[in-house]
Amino acid sequence: MPELLDAAIQRPNFVTFILLLLAGLYICVSHPNLIKKLIGLYLVQNSVIFYFVTISAKEGATVPVLLDPTRPVQAEAFVNPLPHVLTLTAIVVQVATLGVSLGIVSAINKRFGSFDEEAILEKLQ
Amino acid sequence: MTQSLPALVFMVPLTAAVAMPVVGHWKRSACRPLTVAATIAMAVLAAASLFSVGTFGPVRYALGGWQAPLGIEWIADEVSATMAAIASVVGLLVLGFSGALGEASLSGRTVPYHSTVLLLLAGVVGVIYAGDLFNIFVFLEVVSLAAYALVAVPGGRALLSAFRYLMIGALATTFYLLGVAYFYALTGTLNIADLAQRLPGLLESKAAVGGIAFILIGLAIKMALLPVHAWLPDAYADAPDSAAPLLAALVTKAAILVWARILLWGIIPANADAEQILYAIVSGLGIVASVGGALLAMRQTEIKRIFAYGGIAHIGLVMVGLGQASAKAAAGALYYLVNDAVMQAGLFIFAGVVAWRYRVRAVDDITGAGIRNPWVVAPLVIAAVGMVGIPPTGGFVGKWNILLGTMEAGNPFAAAALVLTTLLTLAYFAPVLERIFRSQRMSRMGEPRGELGWPVRLSMAVPAALVLGLGIFGDGLMSAFLRVVGGP
Repeated sequence: MPELLDAAIQRPNFVTFILLLLAGLYICVSHPNLIKKLIGLYLVQNSVIFYFVTISAKEGATVPVLLDPTRPVQAEAFVNPLPHVLTLTAIVVQVATLGVSLGIVSAINKRFGSFDEEAILEKLQ
Repeated sequence: MTQSLPALVFMVPLTAAVAMPVVGHWKRSACRPLTVAATIAMAVLAAASLFSVGTFGPVRYALGGWQAPLGIEWIADEVSATMAAIASVVGLLVLGFSGALGEASLSGRTVPYHSTVLLLLAGVVGVIYAGDLFNIFVFLEVVSLAAYALVAVPGGRALLSAFRYLMIGALATTFYLLGVAYFYALTGTLNIADLAQRLPGLLESKAAVGGIAFILIGLAIKMALLPVHAWLPDAYADAPDSAAPLLAALVTKAAILVWARILLWGIIPANADAEQILYAIVSGLGIVASVGGALLAMRQTEIKRIFAYGGIAHIGLVMVGLGQASAKAAAGALYYLVNDAVMQAGLFIFAGVVAWRYRVRAVDDITGAGIRNPWVVAPLVIAAVGMVGIPPTGGFVGKWNILLGTMEAGNPFAAAALVLTTLLTLAYFAPVLERIFRSQRMSRMGEPRGELGWPVRLSMAVPAALVLGLGIFGDGLMSAFLRVVGGP
């Protein structure tokens, strides 16, 4: 147990990632308000992006642009661009998901006049 | 030219989907012909791709000319080419059927409906061909977004089902992405073939275990594997009749095909030790899902829900096949997957036709509806025979190979589950068939409306013909599948 705690303290980013993920999941499950559920979903998605950024961070490295082609390339001086591109794509995908989900929620609100899941279920009965 | 066929199969529906709002703004009535034309073009290209794969061997297409493992790779082998061809045929069938229902069934949303259907087809093709973990994530999300939108089309109750489907579906893709991130952190690659090269020796690491677990959880939700299936029956029952066959035939099948790819091409070739545990888990999940799904199907009273739970049971059967240490079982599972796509399309089109023409949604009402039309009854009987797995249908070929594989792998529980599911499938189809054959018109049901035009007849008959064809002429395809999964 002390080793686990020690390992956790040395990796604040991973702890943050897990807290964000769990908080998001909890909000998804516990809140009856549809918009708040979406916020929870967004937190979960962002925690994964945060994880991607964490694993691709590199101290003392710079953007992968080769300024002087005559000198040999020092791989350790540059950041791997791929995870950042993945992050960017994942954010775009999330925005699309958020767009569709807000569209559906606004249609629900127009039809049932409420954002509350329990109230909507009562009206459906 | 033949090298670029996979990309063309994808580009045609995507371009048409994006062009649809513009075309719809110009002339609303042009949407349907354009969609049908795009889907026919897609089907022709997919057939050409299948033919070229069969003649010249598999194609590995490097998108943008960037070679794998750095670039994104699309793999067109016999399995993916067949699946893409089936997807485009299913798309055509659904369009043929939805034309008969008319605009009223779409609540006037003609332009978005056609655009979304094409988007779904494009996404499914992308998922089928992609050999890159992240690329698969993007296309899974494209498929899912289109599916959420299609479920929501009728409004009212369907909106809430769509929202629930969206919540759980988006969480599933996020879990999948997290699994991919674990693998990427561990190996530095996203290409599935490259993953198999780099994984050996790393599989004991916690990151690999976490990666497999999160990918499996994410995909299990997407494919509606039994304990996490709850979104599917509501979503399919509330989806419009003109979209349900598409969702049932393609969306869950795409997810399980991804799992098959990652398992058979990425994880299994990489290791020797963890293999047995992984096989046991996949096979165990499959056994629970197949028997449980079939048991739940027996308790349903609504036609669409019976078929939905039947589909859940069949996903379990495919998982049983994938969870055996035998190439025969794996090839049988993939063959069954192709078959199941066709059968589900046929069954849900049947449910749609019955609901539209005879106003029947519950099994008990079939008795009074007077369903005598051979174009409706015969395809249902053939699809039911295929679902049960009696020769000469494709369902039999797949199931038989899975069964032989379970024997080969020495797994009696899996074999027993397979046989039990078959019997249960018979049990839940019996009431439907019995009522169809007793069906007599009662005065309170009203006259059947509309005529069954030839597009509807075709969209009923083609799945039935495919189920029979895959059974009678399936040997060549089955041995090709066996080659693809590395069997003798």
